[in-house]
Amino acid sequence: MKKSIRIGAVVATAAIASMALSSCGFSDSSSGGGGSKSIDLLVPSYSDGTQGLWEDVIAGFEKEYPDITVNLEVQSWDNLNDVVTTKVQGDKAPDIMNGGPFAGFAADDLLYPVSDVTSDDTRADFQKSFVDSASVGDTQYGLPLIASSRTLFVNNDLLAQAGVEAPKTWDDLLAAGKAINALGLPSTYGYGLPLGSEEAQAESAIWFMGGGGTFGDADAITIDTPENLEAATFIQKMVDEGATQPDAGATDRTPLIDVFIQGNIGMIEGLPPTVGQIEEKNPDLNYSMVPIPTKTGDAFTLGVADHLMAFKNDGDKKDSITKFFDYFYQPDVYVNWVTTEGFLPTTISGGEQLADDPKLKVFLDALPDAQFYPSTNPNWSATDAAFKSLVGQLAQGKDPQEVLTEIQAKSDEG
Amino acid sequence: MTNAPIAPETTTRRPRRAAGTSSKDLMLALPWIAPALVLIFGVVLFPAAVMFYNSTRDISQSGVDRGSVGFENYQTLLDFDPIWGVLARTFVWVVAVVLFTVLISLALAQLLNKAFPGRQLVRMAVIIPWAASVVMTTLVVYYGLDPFYGIINEALVQLNILDVPYGFTKNAVSAFTWSIGIAVFVSLPFTTYTILAGLQTIPADVFEAAKIDGAGRRHTYFAIVLPQLRSALAVAILINIINVFNSLPILKVMTGSIPGYDADTVMTLIFKYIQTDHKIDVASALSVVGFIIVLVIVAIYVKVVKPMKEV
Repeated sequence: MKKSIRIGAVVATAAIASMALSSCGFSDSSSGGGGSKSIDLLVPSYSDGTQGLWEDVIAGFEKEYPDITVNLEVQSWDNLNDVVTTKVQGDKAPDIMNGGPFAGFAADDLLYPVSDVTSDDTRADFQKSFVDSASVGDTQYGLPLIASSRTLFVNNDLLAQAGVEAPKTWDDLLAAGKAINALGLPSTYGYGLPLGSEEAQAESAIWFMGGGGTFGDADAITIDTPENLEAATFIQKMVDEGATQPDAGATDRTPLIDVFIQGNIGMIEGLPPTVGQIEEKNPDLNYSMVPIPTKTGDAFTLGVADHLMAFKNDGDKKDSITKFFDYFYQPDVYVNWVTTEGFLPTTISGGEQLADDPKLKVFLDALPDAQFYPSTNPNWSATDAAFKSLVGQLAQGKDPQEVLTEIQAKSDEG
Repeated sequence: MTNAPIAPETTTRRPRRAAGTSSKDLMLALPWIAPALVLIFGVVLFPAAVMFYNSTRDISQSGVDRGSVGFENYQTLLDFDPIWGVLARTFVWVVAVVLFTVLISLALAQLLNKAFPGRQLVRMAVIIPWAASVVMTTLVVYYGLDPFYGIINEALVQLNILDVPYGFTKNAVSAFTWSIGIAVFVSLPFTTYTILAGLQTIPADVFEAAKIDGAGRRHTYFAIVLPQLRSALAVAILINIINVFNSLPILKVMTGSIPGYDADTVMTLIFKYIQTDHKIDVASALSVVGFIIVLVIVAIYVKVVKPMKEV
């Protein structure tokens, strides 16, 4: 009894001491930097060159505005969300972040509307479809940074060997995949179907939207629909009839694209940076880029845009943030950034500059038909997560209807 | 005369010791133990308290605290169908890894305790899995098992054990089994060395006595060596249980791309809640559950095995 009292006293003392220590820790960082202005910039790494590109942008910006310093923090895509969540929880949100979905932050009232932190000229330069996908209701919260769309990459040699043409419809694709698999070449497969967790939502979207379905809109996520069921059933058919690589449900996109680059996959959905990767890793690959096969053969592509967003921290930073955005979106600065990373620009002036780049033509041409994820829906993150962890079960023989029901349920849960 | 001053001093000291409650003692000790206590609170108890606190909050995906929800996050876990499979798999994971680790380590330690040429070299070699990063070790196996360019798959095909490469890391059961193997591999050095240290504390005369009494090798091992290893084994097993339960990197690398929850343990599920679902609140609740499970296992273990009891 007495012993426990003593322990109690020790415990209390230590608790007070550690509280005092930790509260010191909390308070000193927020009050720092009274005189000179600084903005924190948190960005993910798209490639090995990302950090250098941002450093160049910042150097140019700081030269023009010597009174503003920009603190750059580069994180991997895997960690980005954890990092920013932790920062928000600790009241240390970055001033500017480059990320994907922003609707969750907007719903928590953490972001400046774009109109508060850009000049009219900068805002007017964004292409309309990107502005729409960066807005919640009528308010634009994200500044579209890069655009990317998908297209089908085909290995010409394998297609020729199997005696098939580049597919235009799902049925063509099924037949072509089966034909390449039937060649019986070692570790060589027809259609590369990456339903593993890395980016399963993208492959799903290509199929669902290519079959006339949708993921829903800003108001409602609709996964469990007859059109999507038809697409899901067809994905399973691709697997069951042996038109894909084995274990499609657990194959991630990046390693599978590498296999395509090595020449062991007949067809795969790729992105603009894939072109650069092929040039770097296997320039001899005989490949073409063709439109994505859809159920009916109609043109379609999945568009993805990443955004810059500005967090509301101290009110006096609004001015600095505005200067930074206006500087960054000047065609000289911005287009260089985007093209070096191998993506597509989201500004009108940027699109004009690149209009005659042969490598990007197929992607730029497809953009008008692009459909986007319903990323402004507050439940989109949950839906995205549900696809990543559940849709691969299609390839493991689980009933498509059940899979869609599960994804819809997890999405509705939020 | 010379004895006189001593007697009263001892009598005054005795009662003070017996009472032992004086806050004066505590005050005197405080400057010496305070840094340790602050550390314990700041590094151990404070984060645990925050974890429990977070588990009772509704935290948005962007990290904003939306207020208390009581135990709703725990209810979410109960309502999550795969949770029972995950718990069962965690149990299999811990038991299998610890059991194989200890059995193999016992044999290895016995070998390393014998004098043979090059023993120093072999002892160094055993440390390697320990010195290498777990993620690196796992990635080496992971790429070895890759169906497209993995050398393990390639070897199995060339030896005609497999007709075509098999996606070991793409199927729940095989990926999980390989993970157990890797976990055993990386747990061996620590366990072997703990047991080896225990072996070296056994005095040689005990063996001589056993020999004189005519005990055979087997009998000597089970009746003399093993009981003497009790405390070394107890430490090794306890630390392994906690380590293995809390191990994320191996399973994360080996089973990360498998859809659904058929290869998840409590740890990887916590990770999925954080990384994929961005549900910090539910992840915290599951962490608390994991924390309690470890506490219970350790309590049962200490109670049943009485590792601290002298032989």
